[in-house]
Amino acid sequence: MSRLAYSANKRRKRKAKRAAAVPRRHRLSLPPSPSVDQTIDLGSMSPTMVDRLFWRAGFGPTLQDRTAWTGKPVKDAVAWLLGTPAGVSGTPGTNAGKPLDPTGDDTDLVLSWVDRMVRSTNPFPERLGFFWHRHFANSRMSVSPPQLLMQQNDLFRKYADLGANPNASFADLAHEVTINPSMLRFLTGEYNVKGAPNENYARELMELFGLGVTGPAGTPNYSEDDVKQLAKAFSGWQIDDSNPDAATSYFTPDRWYNGPKIVFGKFGNYKYADAVDLVLAHPSHPSFFVAKLWNEFVAAPPDAATLAKLTATYTGSGLKVKPLLEQILSDPALFASLTEPNMVKPPVVYVVGAMRSLAAGITDTTATDHLDSMGQLPYFPPTVAGWEGGLSWLNTNTALARFGFVATLLSQMTIDDTPGETAASAYDRAYAAIGQPWLAPGTQAAIHDFATRAGSGTSKLRKERQLMLRALMLAGPDAQVM
Amino acid sequence: MPDDSRNGDLDKLPAGGADAHALRCADCARSDSLVTDLAPTSQLPIPAEAMAGFPDGVPHARRGARGVDRRTFMRNGLIGMASVYSASRLDWGSIWEAALAEAAEPMQKSIVCIFLNGGNDGLNAIVPVASDQFSAYQAARSNIARVIGPSSGTKVGTTVMPGTGGSLAFANPLVSGAGNNTDTKGFDTLYGDGSGGAGSDLAIFPAADYTPANRSHFESRDYWFAGAQQQLQTGWLGRWLDAYGSQANPLQAVSLDSSLSKQIRSTSAPVCAIENLGGARFQVPGVTTADANAEVGKLAAVAAGAGNDGLGRSRSIYGLTVDVSNRLTGLGAVTPGPGYPPNTDLSRKLQLAATLLGAGLGTRIVTIDWGSFDTHGGQVTAQDPQLSVLSRGLAAFKADLAARGIEDKVVTMVFSEFGRRIASNDSQGTDHGAGGMMLVSGSAVRGGLTGEHPGVKVDDDGDLVVKTDFRSVYQALIGEWLGGDPGAVLPGGPFPAIHRYDGGSALMK
Repeated sequence: MSRLAYSANKRRKRKAKRAAAVPRRHRLSLPPSPSVDQTIDLGSMSPTMVDRLFWRAGFGPTLQDRTAWTGKPVKDAVAWLLGTPAGVSGTPGTNAGKPLDPTGDDTDLVLSWVDRMVRSTNPFPERLGFFWHRHFANSRMSVSPPQLLMQQNDLFRKYADLGANPNASFADLAHEVTINPSMLRFLTGEYNVKGAPNENYARELMELFGLGVTGPAGTPNYSEDDVKQLAKAFSGWQIDDSNPDAATSYFTPDRWYNGPKIVFGKFGNYKYADAVDLVLAHPSHPSFFVAKLWNEFVAAPPDAATLAKLTATYTGSGLKVKPLLEQILSDPALFASLTEPNMVKPPVVYVVGAMRSLAAGITDTTATDHLDSMGQLPYFPPTVAGWEGGLSWLNTNTALARFGFVATLLSQMTIDDTPGETAASAYDRAYAAIGQPWLAPGTQAAIHDFATRAGSGTSKLRKERQLMLRALMLAGPDAQVM
Repeated sequence: MPDDSRNGDLDKLPAGGADAHALRCADCARSDSLVTDLAPTSQLPIPAEAMAGFPDGVPHARRGARGVDRRTFMRNGLIGMASVYSASRLDWGSIWEAALAEAAEPMQKSIVCIFLNGGNDGLNAIVPVASDQFSAYQAARSNIARVIGPSSGTKVGTTVMPGTGGSLAFANPLVSGAGNNTDTKGFDTLYGDGSGGAGSDLAIFPAADYTPANRSHFESRDYWFAGAQQQLQTGWLGRWLDAYGSQANPLQAVSLDSSLSKQIRSTSAPVCAIENLGGARFQVPGVTTADANAEVGKLAAVAAGAGNDGLGRSRSIYGLTVDVSNRLTGLGAVTPGPGYPPNTDLSRKLQLAATLLGAGLGTRIVTIDWGSFDTHGGQVTAQDPQLSVLSRGLAAFKADLAARGIEDKVVTMVFSEFGRRIASNDSQGTDHGAGGMMLVSGSAVRGGLTGEHPGVKVDDDGDLVVKTDFRSVYQALIGEWLGGDPGAVLPGGPFPAIHRYDGGSALMK
């Protein structure tokens, strides 16, 4: 409370000062901004709507995306995002002149995924794949060899590449993840053996992956006994990673608790697949999962009617993800607060989005260094619950890291000198070079004001003006929301 | 929660598996000693005055007064932020009122805990040099063994510890003026003659741990942090704070890190984490003719629409960052004391600890997580420089505290999650073992050999025999130093008293 209240007070004072200092004609001479458009017409997207959709379902729009989809229906763009198979283009990333070596170096492991996101032709599979990583969060801190995490990454991509796998269901994913070698190692399922049950996975499957601790009415979804009994059903699985590049999991009947279990009051001699099915059949599962997926894309939680509609779609389809995503991504709520983006970009989305805006590739550890400082290093979630996210992404340290990342990228790029360039032309050139992102009118005015104040008499001054303009546009407070 | 019980199995690999193991265990280098399942409940701005000889920086009339004038108090701006973890919501104004009240009181006894991350090999720090022991030591770990006397070639030498009847010696990286430690102060000067009298201020426990050994980094750390042979939701110092600490002042216990050490995780007492003092600015590399910080400040001042939390948060955080960095301009963040090893994280944290303790804010506990001691391979080149930094750093820290006039109020404890195996592996390293080196330093401490050295007779598991239960040391630190009933803090007690080389059982003078 104290910090924000204190800061808001300062802001009000500064705002009053600044408003007096910025002449009105500067605001009138601004380039047209997509944010002027305030209408939400699902049948014909404005550029602002295209921007919104591609930030939420990808890593921000390219200029081509904006041109191609403006005037088109939302459902067509959503169909493209959900129907186009995953792919990459461009030159593979490098680290200090060498090809990335994800199995030999953990930094390269992280870079290789970021590189794939940056070069993705359809960003949605990488975005959804990252959601699966946040949901079933496994960390390199306790998963070795790293090949297990790469294999799990492929599994997530299979369930995110809805163009190639349109019938992907959460049920199938949950079954595969349960006996996935990385998961067996991370949540110690490989030590779950009859006589010494390990409850780690059973608990997290219910608490974090499938149900939540309590249901919509606030009552517990499961008991401690359910955890113990469910754990017995998951016993018997181990990992063969003698060939790390082709690790497998295998079931040893002798290690399995072969006997009756009672889960949620139901009685049976369950094995792992039965156990997963029991959790997914729990009445709290659909709304739990639907709300979590919704929150990945939309700032405000779903209202009761929307949640009911989406839950019906999800259960009616047999827990498929594509029909559910079609509805979430086409919902008018996705386009709320269109003139002023209202969701904080997760660090990965911010970093990949900025690199795509600048057509920058992975050539060193700039991205991973800054992602670490921003608090989101892929493959290193802080806990099995993934990253907290939301407003907590932003604090004084992460703000510096976010600005510093883009400023570093920009400083590595070649910027042409244009002698005689006016302040307005310098502004326009900078804005075009960074992909014309959303900027509030007040922000445009403040940056424009900088352009007029900055010196331009020498090549050095003009270059620095250009560099600063780009940094203010692509790394300032407005660039942190989508 | 994930755990790392695999390590227990991996350590039983035959020597031929050592290389693979060394690679695997690099995973463990990233610390999990911090509380990551709790988010701070608030951020506490730290006024520059607080570090600049507080309370002298505040008009005396205001000391302890109700209704502190915030503008006066904050006139020199902020020097940093503390992440506060508290069961109840605290307003920073009331926190600083509590700190002001503390500042008016004499400084209380305090403790600094240095955690050597990764499992320090104590046997190559405190070396058994009695003839029968030394030959067994040398045989078990010939590829990393020390030599008696001066260093020779690649072999690091040893210096006999006074008061041990010639049975134990410091490895030379720990000793002043020898080996790679060229400073004039180190373990040997802190240890003195080992008598526990004046000038003998370093207590050494050569094999402190618990039994049976749990070779998982994660579980073993949790035991040490909890002060119990089980994983608990609170740390031993957190429980001490719950019982005997303040319910208002989070600065009473500070982790010098991005978040809280499990040692000070409490149920009700507020505690905090401070990663750094001093600020950074918004900068664009290559731009020297314009001030990015000032320009960002203007963008942050643009008002966000009503109800837009995301954009509002972004602009207010950017604005706050600009404010903090502006206010810090021209202020020296931390006043360093002399003699610290240059450019090391431990030095930086010890300097920060000395500054905090010297500021008189009621700080009683500081935790430091440092180093990379998981030396499965190349141990000598990995461990020795760190031992040297630790040795010089502890001596410099003591001198720094003395210069601030508070050395007699501070003791420093050094520990690690476990010791390592007696026998080395084929990678010139050692695997996870038991019975690690524990230290307590300070002029209030009765220095000397305060725990038995078990010798290098290999037990059934290839480990040192644990001679001191780590909780015996905690028990003495509570009972003889911090104050309070150890039984109320440490479950499973009472634990055996400390057993000094000279027969005594007191940890403090």
